[in-house]
Amino acid sequence: MKERAIELTVNGIALNITVPVHQTLLDTLREQLGFTDTKYGCGTGECGACSVIIDDQESLCSCMALASTLNGRSITTAAGLASNGLNAVQQAFIDQTAVQCGYCTPGMVVKSTSLLRKNPNPSEEEIRKELEGNICRCTGYDSIVKAVQQAAQSFPESDTQWDNAVELKAGANS
Amino acid sequence: MSSRILPNFDLLVPNSTSEAVNLLAHYQERAAILAGGTDLIVAMKMNYESEILISVSELDGLDYIDFDPNSGLHIGAKATVSQILDNADVKQHYPALWQAANVFATPQIRTAATLAGNVLRGSPAGDCSCALLALGARIVLQSTEGKREVAIEDFWTGYNQNARKPSELAIEIIVDAPQSATGSAFHRMTRVNEDLAKLNGSVRLDMDGNVCKSARIAMGCVGPTTLRLPKTEKLLQNEEITPELLAHVADMVPTEISPIDDKRSTAEYRLMVSGVVIKRLIEQAATAAN
Amino acid sequence: MSQFSVIGKSVPKVDAYEKVTGQPIYAADLKMQGMLYGKIVRCMEFAHAKVIKLDFSEALKIPGVVKVLGPEDVTQTTYNTGACDEMVSDKVGHLLGDLKDQSIFTDHVRHQGDAICGVIAISEEIAERAAAKVIVEYEPLQVFMTPSEAEKTGTHQLHPDKANNMAFQLPEAMFPGNSYGWGDADEAMKEADIIVEDDFYVNKQKQCQMEPHAYIAQVDGRGRLNCWSSGQMPKITHQKIARLFNMPMSMVKIHSTTIGGGFGARLGIIAEPETCALAMAVPGRPVKVQTLREEDWIISESRHAGDYWMRLGFKKDGTPVACQARFKANTGAYFTHASGVPFTTGAWLSGMYKFGALGYQGESYFSNQAPAGAYRGYGNPQTNFVLEQLIDRALTQLDLDPVQWRLNWHKGVGDDGWCFGVKYPSCQLSECLKQGAEAIEWNKKLAEFKNQTGTKRRGVGVSVMNHTSGAMPMLLEHTVTTVMMNEDGSAVVATACSDLGQGSHTVLHQIAAEALGLDMNEVTLKTGDSDANGFDIGSHASRTTYVGGNSILEACDDIKKQLLERASKHLDTAVENLEFGGKTIFAKHNPENSITTAEICRLGVYNYMDPETGEPEGAPGQIFGFSSHFAKHNSPPFGACFVELEIDTETGEIELLELVHTHDIGRTLHPAMAEGQMVGGAQQGIGMALTEEIYYDEQGRAVNSSFTDYKMYGSSDMPKMKVILVEDPDPHGPYGAKSVGEAGLTSPVGAIANAVYNALGIQFKEAPITPEKVLKAIKENGLNFA
Repeated sequence: MKERAIELTVNGIALNITVPVHQTLLDTLREQLGFTDTKYGCGTGECGACSVIIDDQESLCSCMALASTLNGRSITTAAGLASNGLNAVQQAFIDQTAVQCGYCTPGMVVKSTSLLRKNPNPSEEEIRKELEGNICRCTGYDSIVKAVQQAAQSFPESDTQWDNAVELKAGANS
Repeated sequence: MSSRILPNFDLLVPNSTSEAVNLLAHYQERAAILAGGTDLIVAMKMNYESEILISVSELDGLDYIDFDPNSGLHIGAKATVSQILDNADVKQHYPALWQAANVFATPQIRTAATLAGNVLRGSPAGDCSCALLALGARIVLQSTEGKREVAIEDFWTGYNQNARKPSELAIEIIVDAPQSATGSAFHRMTRVNEDLAKLNGSVRLDMDGNVCKSARIAMGCVGPTTLRLPKTEKLLQNEEITPELLAHVADMVPTEISPIDDKRSTAEYRLMVSGVVIKRLIEQAATAAN
Repeated sequence: MSQFSVIGKSVPKVDAYEKVTGQPIYAADLKMQGMLYGKIVRCMEFAHAKVIKLDFSEALKIPGVVKVLGPEDVTQTTYNTGACDEMVSDKVGHLLGDLKDQSIFTDHVRHQGDAICGVIAISEEIAERAAAKVIVEYEPLQVFMTPSEAEKTGTHQLHPDKANNMAFQLPEAMFPGNSYGWGDADEAMKEADIIVEDDFYVNKQKQCQMEPHAYIAQVDGRGRLNCWSSGQMPKITHQKIARLFNMPMSMVKIHSTTIGGGFGARLGIIAEPETCALAMAVPGRPVKVQTLREEDWIISESRHAGDYWMRLGFKKDGTPVACQARFKANTGAYFTHASGVPFTTGAWLSGMYKFGALGYQGESYFSNQAPAGAYRGYGNPQTNFVLEQLIDRALTQLDLDPVQWRLNWHKGVGDDGWCFGVKYPSCQLSECLKQGAEAIEWNKKLAEFKNQTGTKRRGVGVSVMNHTSGAMPMLLEHTVTTVMMNEDGSAVVATACSDLGQGSHTVLHQIAAEALGLDMNEVTLKTGDSDANGFDIGSHASRTTYVGGNSILEACDDIKKQLLERASKHLDTAVENLEFGGKTIFAKHNPENSITTAEICRLGVYNYMDPETGEPEGAPGQIFGFSSHFAKHNSPPFGACFVELEIDTETGEIELLELVHTHDIGRTLHPAMAEGQMVGGAQQGIGMALTEEIYYDEQGRAVNSSFTDYKMYGSSDMPKMKVILVEDPDPHGPYGAKSVGEAGLTSPVGAIANAVYNALGIQFKEAPITPEKVLKAIKENGLNFA
């Protein structure tokens, strides 16, 4: 097949869409669905600007995934994290001035949220290691690491969206 | 120039292993297998084309990692590097593999990339591949004809070439159970932490006190495929690990490799550091074993 | 209690909310009705070639292809993508030999990636597929990649006016002997007790801003050319595009999109000409051109690599008697910044130490590398790598302490800065050196590291630098600001100053709010619209806070003057007896006699007749402040960087342990953003010193134009960082501020090299200092660290 009809949940909304099979998830999000908060930075999975959360926890480079093979999966972008106001990571990025040009920021926020969902009490070393796949050429990373540390103080309690997602899924499975 | 947009292909999404091998039997070389996609999609953005892609995304049941003290470690072909990293058995019994997974690419790529994909890609810089060669893995291939196992040292037949027939699907990787005093370790050298290896190495030692009963040593980025270093292994066999022996080992290693100059390093450098890397890995693995 | 209400506070960045939610619109995010997509066909196979056949027929057969344009289908006017030509007078430009040698599409490929033709199609995918079907045949020409190859007799001449491919040298007419400096360095050198001298190579580093270049252009119904671009210099882009297509500026509009990092890569123009040319072929239809990372790499300029010779002479007591230097820069295939960078590389050298005499020669050469241009630091990191290492080499021979010597001999207040005749108005470098040395425990570590054993060896290093706040008097320094007072007393500040992400819009906001006595949310900035914004030379040369900020202060003074004049009438009190108390103006001797600025502004706009008196209420007219500001100084900042590192002598690998970054900032306007500049700058300086360089194969093709093979320090590689901002308000800066933009990159380069020298006793003459070079040098020097 050259096109495929799939079910894809994007930022909490279940969609039935048809995608060209060779379309990257990045292009599905940006070009087809208008989620331009997910950025093209390198196209080879090196920079993390295109990071999204898959199935509410793990992070993924959307430039290296095909939407056509993600039938039934759930994708969250930076815009989706703010659907009930800023999440704790986003607020911390503002508070710690961890934002400069902003191009890496959506991917950073997504990756940081993913890392806190996996490990709500990370050490500085763990944060730095988990952010290895996200390049920032502006900040030198210190402010970003501080922002993740700030957000960790309120994780997972403040991460209401995740709770909702997990509950929804639990409901669907039961 | 590369592209942001992939070439056209037909996508097939089988639901079961039997359906997948039937498709492979039919399409043979015309089809490529898409798992995590972290190599294949980048390759397609460069210049790789395949008429058909068979995605394993909806194939049931191959995402397991099972450990049994007798039969060893069984890793389904869809298990991701991220799963390897999260697995306590791997961390405890196969430290070389866990250490390789721990530095493998980036967290985002580990989410998608499969261990089997790393082996099938057969890059001489593959980190998990290097660890698996030292640990002595086997690759289970299935076709409509049935299953066969290939030892990892026989699997890579040349640069970008492997023993998988076009009709076969890799379904599992098996690593034997460690003995009571087995230790393993992995290390790689890179330009910055997030990078492809400029040199990687892995060692598995079966020890008896401070005596090495047998050794398996692998090194990557020093030849067309990840290499085993049989002469170095032999130096260790039934020998006590002493500083003198390690000095011999460090001298032997460069004689067994044939690195080249490339984007990441030079042949000269790789030759100079290869012995140091293996010497340190032996020390680490011997410590882990006891 | 601070004397300021918003200055000096880490207020939230004005664009932070949008950025954390991914809302800002970068050029690639724009989608417009009827949009078409352009793809530029570039020569990837050769670095130097003639196009002998160009055939569009197969490309045009693909459904969805609208047009394909070749070199003859677009303007033949040539241009210079750099901005230097707009920053100096035509007379100076002529003396410097500046060239406009670039064209939209070419049949003479001068570097890999040169543009051959452009495809317009209804989708990006079709444009790409069609671009691959354009048939181009080449005749390869001789490839030369370095200054020494370029100047060899018999080498292909890249430009008829430039003998031996020498694009630039300091012109005799301005600099006798093609050299500048002071005193007679040859004579002075004879007085030296010791002389250190060497040839160095500095590397070609890439800015690697995260947003790859992308553009949209559209000719609207009136024939007006619109271009959406994320340049650092929107008004220069405006001017250059209008001139290139021979249109009045009123018929060109530049829409500035959010800038995803610059660091010099977006100085002047990049692919705006190609994009506009495509759009002009399909009037009415917007055309988007989005580059790949790999494409971005080869079409936008990099740092100038080059060969750098230096000789320093000292008396036994450390007195620096003479400095001689010659930088032969590799400018690449086009002129771009061929004059600017080799000129300023020596300026930073001149600004640093009190040598008895100094002579500097700066040149640049064409080659088949991708063009070099502006990159954060603009020649300063190159000088830092060479000068600071040679200083330390001499100090080892003289047995003098690197920190103490620098304390003794750095230039300071009253000395000539980087530009002769412009004296330093402020300098806290000594304090920077003292505080930095204390923070890294310099004396303790230096002593400890003298007695190391084992295969791992530590070292500490120091480096100092001077920079600038704006490029006055070398380049035009002009910014226009208008401030419009709304009828409720809040303000709209219009300026063309762009924000590359560093936070200039937040700082300019703070400056305006402070000056007008308003809260942050009572001020808004109108930027990014070439119709609405007056002139600004652009965000470069660490100038925006300094020059843009002073321009805003000037415009706000104009507002305050008008407010006071009107208050004087309302309060029936002479202006000199009034006090501007933020939102209220009152009589000094009778504070109750007051009026709010909001009331003055309201009455100016709603200037009704008072029915009782028959007179208008208050003075009529909306209040506008204006400034067309030319910088009066360049208030150079200084800084000292300290680095501790550890070298694995068996592998040559270097681990950075700590970096202490001190900066003579004048006054800190926004502490968190200033620190962000220093830490972010350090990340790039570390890269230049240790990992970053564009490499070419024998055919002149870049082998690492991607993040896969061009490696930058990442989150887990960075050392422990400490930033120390030393404050001493500068007499000229806005609220005493000096610049911070480029400085953070510069001094880590020399400090790292010196720390390596301290650890191993070996200096590295070629940057970056890779493990391969370190291990080789250890073996060649026969060192044994067991």
